[in-house]
Order: sequence, then structure tokens, then C-alpha cells
Amino acid sequence: MRLLAVAAPLLLIAAAASGPGDTSLLPPSGYLGTWSLDGKPRVFPGSELYGHIDGGAEIFFEFGFEETTVQRYRSPAGELVVECYRMSDPLAALGIYLGKCGTESPDTGLAEKHTAGRYQLMFVRDRYFVVVNNPAGTPALVPTLTELARFIAGRLPPSQPVTVFDALPKAGLVEGSQRLIRGPVALEAIATLGRGDILRLGGRITAVAGDYSDGRGKHTVIVATYPDARAAAAAFRNLTARLDPEIKTLAGGDGRLVFRDYDGTFGTALLAGDRLEIRLRLQTQPALK
Amino acid sequence: MGRSHVSMDVIFDMNRRELVQTLAGCTAAASLMLAAPGCRKAKEAVPEVETNIADFLKVPKTPHSLPGPFPGKVVKVTDPRSLVDEKIDGKVVAEMVERGIRTLTGTTMEKSFRMFFTPDDVVGLKVNPVGPPLISTKPEVAEAVIRWLTDNKLPAKNIVIWDRFDLDLKDAGFTPDRFPGVRIEALQTMVEEGQSFRDAAGNHISAGNFDPNVYYFAKGVVGKGVRGYRDDEFYLNQHVFAGEYSYYGRLLTRDITKLVNLAAYKNTGNGISMATKNLGYAAICNTGRLHAPLFFRVCTEVLAAPPVRDKLVLNLTDGLRGQYEGGPDKNEKFVYANHSLYFATDPFALDMLCHRELVAKRKEMGIAVNEHPRFTEYLVYAESLGLGVTDPARITLVKA
Repeated sequence: MRLLAVAAPLLLIAAAASGPGDTSLLPPSGYLGTWSLDGKPRVFPGSELYGHIDGGAEIFFEFGFEETTVQRYRSPAGELVVECYRMSDPLAALGIYLGKCGTESPDTGLAEKHTAGRYQLMFVRDRYFVVVNNPAGTPALVPTLTELARFIAGRLPPSQPVTVFDALPKAGLVEGSQRLIRGPVALEAIATLGRGDILRLGGRITAVAGDYSDGRGKHTVIVATYPDARAAAAAFRNLTARLDPEIKTLAGGDGRLVFRDYDGTFGTALLAGDRLEIRLRLQTQPALK
Repeated sequence: MGRSHVSMDVIFDMNRRELVQTLAGCTAAASLMLAAPGCRKAKEAVPEVETNIADFLKVPKTPHSLPGPFPGKVVKVTDPRSLVDEKIDGKVVAEMVERGIRTLTGTTMEKSFRMFFTPDDVVGLKVNPVGPPLISTKPEVAEAVIRWLTDNKLPAKNIVIWDRFDLDLKDAGFTPDRFPGVRIEALQTMVEEGQSFRDAAGNHISAGNFDPNVYYFAKGVVGKGVRGYRDDEFYLNQHVFAGEYSYYGRLLTRDITKLVNLAAYKNTGNGISMATKNLGYAAICNTGRLHAPLFFRVCTEVLAAPPVRDKLVLNLTDGLRGQYEGGPDKNEKFVYANHSLYFATDPFALDMLCHRELVAKRKEMGIAVNEHPRFTEYLVYAESLGLGVTDPARITLVKA
């Protein structure tokens, strides 16, 4: 009997593992006694993500997307929907998560970096961004969101420490404002600096951004660290040459650019070795030299 | 594993900035645009996309043409009782709808009905069923509008709740059980992976739902090899046609005689996905090709075509809940109780007002907002075409 009790769940998991997509990560029918799979998983590899989130797919592609698996569950208590987004690498998953999590509202029952609400729980672990949905917002199902997330997280490799934000200045950084950027879609959420991949990140170089608050008001800092000084210089040249027409250059040359943005605030771009640092929304005009 | 590289090409070859700058390059409309007050001239040479907007503009307007009898006027009705403990109160919503319509028109519900409709009309209610229940059009709003119509002798069978795709209507609560006697229709079906979307003749099963004689044309922009789509078959499944033409749904061109636009209240990136986008990307097929080169411009030009321009009599944006970030997909983290409904005959004034309101909300929530002018230039363009009033100084907001 004991062997059967152990073997039955394993068999169920093995059955799930044989399906398409990342179904091996998902609970099988019978989960928590009452939950059963509601239909087959829907798998959206590569560009087919447009078929799942037409209006929001570009940011996934920019960070590096592989495949999404969507599975509905049903029980007498209601319905839940799991979306597992497998990204190309852990920073890609973190980049998506940071763009969607807002101010985190954690649940003590989950150790992963996550935010939980009544309708949705989203978390990031390794190279997976996972959303567990409670479509009807049924309050009684909120604990099950956490349980489901724990089940899935337990089947993923652990996340590694993130050091990429060390590039940002510490003083004045608004906690929770950190973002990752790998191309124009993520950049545009922060600022319009110019057409196309103006910072030449190419989906491979990960820039970091954060908001700052100090005695002179609020501003935003973006730091991109390139493979070498040559690549950074090329990005700086591209920025200065293709700067958005709404931006007026006030001073330039020698790896430094001072400009006034469309809204009357000021900005700077500073090239230093392999690093390009951009400051935006400065309330006072920086020195021109 | 290699798919992500394909996907990245989608982004890095795409210049969405061109979309607004090409406004000035729009051959047919350029003179109109540049002559318009407040219309800014593009500052860099960009490829032109020629559309058939000039053909639309040649068609004489009717008494019901946009911007309708109240250009630049937006009514906002707010009632905290409308959404309590995540539950919509249909009775309060009905009161809000009546208050909004009466304030907009300045007369009774009966006279308001006669201002826009006759009992012989076939009235289409364009809902936004995406992202239920958080950020989709609430069925309670549609119910209140339907009650107004039927109370004034419009038969229920002359009312059509519709969207472009059939996938989401049921999930959003637009079912025959809830709306007995009312038609619930979509312009097209998107077939699940592994099933054929072609009929015996090899055409898309939804091809007959679109009018080959009424179209939005974008020269050189075709639905073949569109970046982001695995192949042309995948594109066709989702978009029905793939050439330079995006046909309007027959429902709009041949069936519906009046249109009521019931939009959701949410952002899409730094812009909004509300009244004009609810129709701009839903009234036609073959839209995947348009996103990269034209994007928001579509929200103006598709509404300029007579089947929309001359039938769209009322816009009601459902802001009972709002989403200020993370859109157009639903994201609970950014959804808030806004307790408001917005009414206008002028969808462009409505969107300009809501855009500015949502920007203010984003700032209030601590977001460093990118307010670049490109995100509202399609609205400025609409004013230059005579479709609405979008200069904030000339928009009248009435709170009721």
C-alpha cells in the first residue's frame, strides 16, 4: 500500500512529463485531491506567443523567449490557469518579471521572488517567469495560487544571485524601481531616445535602470556595460547620431552629451571605457563642459 | 533554443518610431495634417506608407458622422458604489449610464435615443472582451445600454454584441444566457493549432465575413513574411487575408446601421488601448502587418472610413476598473478601482482625455512616465482630419 501511495503520484507526474511544452513542471490531475486538468496544455513556442498575448509579446522576444505552456485546471471550487514562460536565460526571466511585478506584495508561503494578489500570482525562478491566475478572483482560491506556485518552483533549478544591478549607483536609488533593458521595447517604457536599438544592446547586452530621488528631485539612471570600450563607443556614437528629434543637444563631444528632452527636463550621456551611463529627467541643467 | 534569436530579429529590425513620423509622410493626408493647429511637422525623413485615407475623406459626411453632435465633449460619471469588494453593482452602473447619456446629450433618455437611433436600426455594441474580469468591458455596462435601446422600442434581435475574435466573448460574460434575444457575434474565428482554418475551397472559413469592397489599404505593407509570425499560414489563420488590403467586417458594412463603442480603460505601453483602438484594430482583418509600420495611425484612419465614421454614434469607455501599467494584457498589479464611466460622441476627445488621466495616474503611482508626443500624435492627426477635437484646451470635461 505504501509503495502504491508513493508510486501513484510519480506515475501521474511521469504521465504529465510526456506531454508537450513544460508540462513536466505542472501538477497532474488529482492535485490537492480535487484539481483536474481542464483540456490539453496550450504550447506557444517562439513567435507563436503572438497567439497567446498578441499585444504584449514583443518584450518577451526582446529579452529572449523560448516557449510558453498554458494549462487550465478545474475543481468544484473554481478554475485556475497556469502560464509558464521559459526564457532564454535567468536575466531574461527577471527582466520580464521586473517589468510586470510593480510594487511586490509577497505571500509568506513562497520563497521565490514573487508578487501575489487575488487574481494573479507571478514569480521568477531560474529562467522561468510563471503566472498563476485565479480568473474569477475567488478569495477562497488565493492559498491555492501559492500552493501551485510552490509546486512548480520546486521543479525548477534554483535562481542564482543577481549582480547586474551593482552597476547602478547606490545613493538615492528608489527601491523597487530597478529594471532591465535589452532593446528598444524595454527602453521605450522608460524613455524615447531615438529610433530602433539606439543603445545597441542587440538583445544580448543587459542594461540596468533605476529611479533616483535626492535633494534636487527625481531622475532616472540607465547604465549599459558593453563587452569592451569599442562597443560602448559605438553605442555612444549611435546615440548621438540618431538622437530623437524631440531631444535638443546642448553640448557634445569627448564622450559626453548634454541634452534637453521633449518635456523640458535635462539629460546626460557619459561614456567611460566599456560603460555608458545615461541620466534622464534631471530638473536642473547640468554643466555643459 | 534557437527560436529566441528569430524572435529578437522581430524587435531589432522593427522601427515603431516610424509610425508617428510617417504621419507627416502620409501622402494623402499630409496637407491636412500640416495645416492643422498644433500639428507638429516630422523632423526626419522616414519611409512613407501610402494609405487610402484620401478615399475615405472624399465621401461626404452624414448627420451622424464623427465627431457627432458633441465634438470635444466628454462626460465622466463616477460612483464609488459601482464596484465594491470586487463586485460590480449592475443597478448602480445602470444609473451611471443614464446619468452619463443624459449629461452628454442634455436631454431625456428617450430624446437621446432619437438623437442617435431609430427603432429600425441594427445597433452593434463593440465590446472589449480581453482580460476578463479585471479589465474587459463589463457585461453590466452592455446590459444598461441594451436596456436603454429596448426601452425605446429597438428590438433585442436588432442588437449585436460583437468583437473581432470569437475566442474571448464567452469568458468575458457575453453569452446567450446572459443576453437573451441579443445577437452575439465575432468577425472571425481563429482555429486552434493542428486544425485547418480553410474551407473546402481553400479559403479561410471566416473570409466571407469580410467585405471585399470596403477596405483599409496600406501600400507595400503586406501580411506575408510578417516578422513575429512563424510562417504565412500561421499569419493567415489569425488574420484571414494577407495582402495590402484589410477588409472591413460585413457586420459593419452591410448589417449594423449604428455603432456603440464600449471600450475598456487601460494602457498599452506608453499609450492607451481604449476607444479608438477598440475599433481601429477590430473593425478590419489583416492587422498584424500594420503594427510595426503604422500602429496608432490605424486607430485614426480605420475610424475615418464611412462604415465607422458615419455609424459610430456613441462611445462609452468602461473605467469602472482601470489599468495604468502592464497593458494591454491584464495585470492585477496595476488594476485599480476607478469607479467611472466616460461618455462621448467624439472618440478622439475621449481618448485624449483618458490618456492624460492615465498619465496622471501613472505619475501618482510613482512611475517615471515617458510622455513623448509620439504617443498622442494619432489623436492630433484625427483632429486635422476633422474627426474630433483633441487639443486639451478645447476639450470640455463634464463630471456628473
